[in-house]
Amino acid sequence: MKAESFPSAALSPELQAIRDFLAECMPFEQLADGELDRIAGAMEIDYFRRGHVFTSHEDPGGLRILRSGAAELRAEDGRLVDRFGETISFNLMGLSQEQPGIRATLIEDSLIYRLPEPAYQQLRLQHRDFDRFFHSQRNRRVRRAARRETNPSEMMKQLRDLMSTQLLWVEPGVSIQQTAQKMTERRVSSAMIMDHGPEQGGRLLGIVTDRDIRSRAMATGIDAQAGIDNIMTKDPVTIDAEETLFDATLFMTQRGFHHIPVKDKDTIVGMITSSDLMLARRDDPVYLVQHISRQQSVEGLRKIIGLLPDLLVQWVNAGIRASQVAHLLTAISDAVTVKLITLAEQELGPPPRPYCWLGFGSQGRDEQLLGGDQDNALLIADGLEPAEAVWFEKLAHRVCDGLNACGYVYCPGGVMATTDEWRQPLSGWCNTVDRWTRSPTADAVMRVSIFFDLRAIHGDASLCRQLQQHMLKRTGGNTIFLAALAENVLDSPPPLGIFRRFVVEHNGEHADELNLKKRAVIPIVDIVRIHALAHGITEVNTLRRLHALVRQKALTIGDSRNLEDALRVIQQTRVEGQVRQLMNGEKPGNYLNPDHLPKLVKKQLRDAFGVVVDAQQAVKLSYRPGM
Amino acid sequence: MLLTARRQFYRLRSRLQGNSVAPPLLQCWQRSALHRRNCWRQLEFLVVDTETSALNVSEGELLSIGWVVIAAGSVRLGSTRHILLKPRRSVGSSAAIHQLRDCELSAGISVESMMPELLQAAEGRVLAFHHAPMDLAFLNSISQRLYRAPLLLPWVDTLQLEKQSLERRQLPIGANALRLGSCRSRYNLPVYPAHNALMDALATAELLLAQLSHRGEDQRLGDLL
Repeated sequence: MKAESFPSAALSPELQAIRDFLAECMPFEQLADGELDRIAGAMEIDYFRRGHVFTSHEDPGGLRILRSGAAELRAEDGRLVDRFGETISFNLMGLSQEQPGIRATLIEDSLIYRLPEPAYQQLRLQHRDFDRFFHSQRNRRVRRAARRETNPSEMMKQLRDLMSTQLLWVEPGVSIQQTAQKMTERRVSSAMIMDHGPEQGGRLLGIVTDRDIRSRAMATGIDAQAGIDNIMTKDPVTIDAEETLFDATLFMTQRGFHHIPVKDKDTIVGMITSSDLMLARRDDPVYLVQHISRQQSVEGLRKIIGLLPDLLVQWVNAGIRASQVAHLLTAISDAVTVKLITLAEQELGPPPRPYCWLGFGSQGRDEQLLGGDQDNALLIADGLEPAEAVWFEKLAHRVCDGLNACGYVYCPGGVMATTDEWRQPLSGWCNTVDRWTRSPTADAVMRVSIFFDLRAIHGDASLCRQLQQHMLKRTGGNTIFLAALAENVLDSPPPLGIFRRFVVEHNGEHADELNLKKRAVIPIVDIVRIHALAHGITEVNTLRRLHALVRQKALTIGDSRNLEDALRVIQQTRVEGQVRQLMNGEKPGNYLNPDHLPKLVKKQLRDAFGVVVDAQQAVKLSYRPGM
Repeated sequence: MLLTARRQFYRLRSRLQGNSVAPPLLQCWQRSALHRRNCWRQLEFLVVDTETSALNVSEGELLSIGWVVIAAGSVRLGSTRHILLKPRRSVGSSAAIHQLRDCELSAGISVESMMPELLQAAEGRVLAFHHAPMDLAFLNSISQRLYRAPLLLPWVDTLQLEKQSLERRQLPIGANALRLGSCRSRYNLPVYPAHNALMDALATAELLLAQLSHRGEDQRLGDLL
């Protein structure tokens, strides 16, 4: 057989169909015709049957474009990363660098165009847009795949993606003072001393940091006009752009450095500082909350909130319990709310009167998960002038719009500070509460059940406390009101069918699925709330309410523990359900199919539901005697 | 084997007639050892398609030829060649089918220049056609005229391979079932606009890859001829 290589000629003009197809494929559509022909000439066409698997370890490399057929990418543990068809391309070698063990399986008979690895790499070098396309495409895929990884891999992020590329460099003769001025102007904490700019292949001679200027110049009294090279650290250590966050963190802590120049091959491409590293640890909730408070726009907040689904998966997989996850997610939505309020205040000017931003429902109770809507209100100090009211109305709109943009969608029931009803002075709120408790209509009871789980998110928390005291005074001994509330508790149909099948929704797209929030969480929350209101307990978090009820001997330890365990089991199942939905690329919701639950979980849920039914009976006996 | 024996026959006959088989073909024979036991991914194929001015070799002539190489189981897009041939007669009304007009063909080259190039490309490779008898009739007749022997190169026919597989599965073979486009659709191959010799050669090459993939990795040359 012939062993000659195939010097690729440009694509023959007769093969217009190939040209037309490639021009439809991103990012080939960006290439000029002649360039496209040259590249097409280097391509090979393969045909494989359904079920054929490409694995990275025996792959000759190259970019594969599906001409017909369909394929899916799976991570090493078998989880689905991506599924696609005609015109979509993939580079297994590149993917496996980020996700070792990734493989592509054909799910239909497929005709595949393959651009061999050298030609593909050459193309990426020559066309920045082309390169960027594959870089971002890979990132997108890897992000999706990271969701499915059991252990958080943020530490494995490459420095290339974290470093600052806005480099400040000066020539060795430049004075200390000039360098310091430039550093101040550019707001950077270090400067590189180079013979030429990095673009001209300049050599790195040294580095100077804020600290060097303090300890080697100011402290020693050296002439500020002396050359910067007098105080620089000569031949500083550099780190490669391919290295990871982990490597750099280790390096800095071991060597006591705070600034390291980053090299790609022999060119200086960036600088990594200890604060870059800290900010990069976005999977750490503490840093995340800090990061939120540094944002200056709704868009910035929205981007951070966009990370939450991935983080939820990581946290749950890392073993963080549902109640803790809820606490983190609530802390984050609090931080977003506070940031939106401060951004609005910057624009609107200082508030004309003390006020308190209230959070209700799951945010109020510190029990938020993903996909919840916003429930909020404004509580304003008494004596509000009509002219001042406009300020608060504007504030409410900015914050609620911002929350909606960040994914905390508008409350379908209109429980938002943007409505006049939910934006009142303290005296107005007290009147409303009086009205609700005096004549507890079904509507009033519904509002109460939302409103009584309130928490001060921002502003004057004493206003919130006053309102809450007023509320508890009105409800404590109010048997008529408590009876109405109890009826509401019993109204939410108990999740029976416990000993046979679960009760599932019988209509709509969630037929045969169980709404855990509505059928299980809310009933427990309602039960615990009525006890709390009856006993004047100020806590709003369900678990803390339970603990307080035990302390006041309003509930036995046994009953309290049962409800607590039931809530934990249900919330854990719910969170894990959301994680599963995210991993399948679905929107996280509250529905789950009982058939998909493991046996043990089903049994636990059944037990939990039994506890809820018992507790509902107890509520009936306590607050609706004789009914 | 048969092909070798027939080559030997032509060698002897032409020698007896006083002029041997001409060098381009002879050289191609010498460099084309047959590997009947080789699996198909180890083989190289030269997939060829032609356009002619009539279906019958006695009435028409070759107008264009296109080919593409399959090596190591892949079609090489950089290996394609498309040649227009200068006809001796006007193509007349057949232009309606192949869309090659007299004015385009007048820029073509002669078969005498085309054949050595084809033979060189065919060295060490198995020829492949969709409906081989038709293309081969024209090519053999040219070869006979120029080199005093037919091509006598190993070839496979995607139409025959398809017919075999339909018969093996006892499927009815309809009127158009064996046309190139119909065959391709059975393998989830895309629809290509006809009609030039190179595009059809490429379409045939992809069909051949699909057929071989479905027959299995262990298909040997001997199973295909």
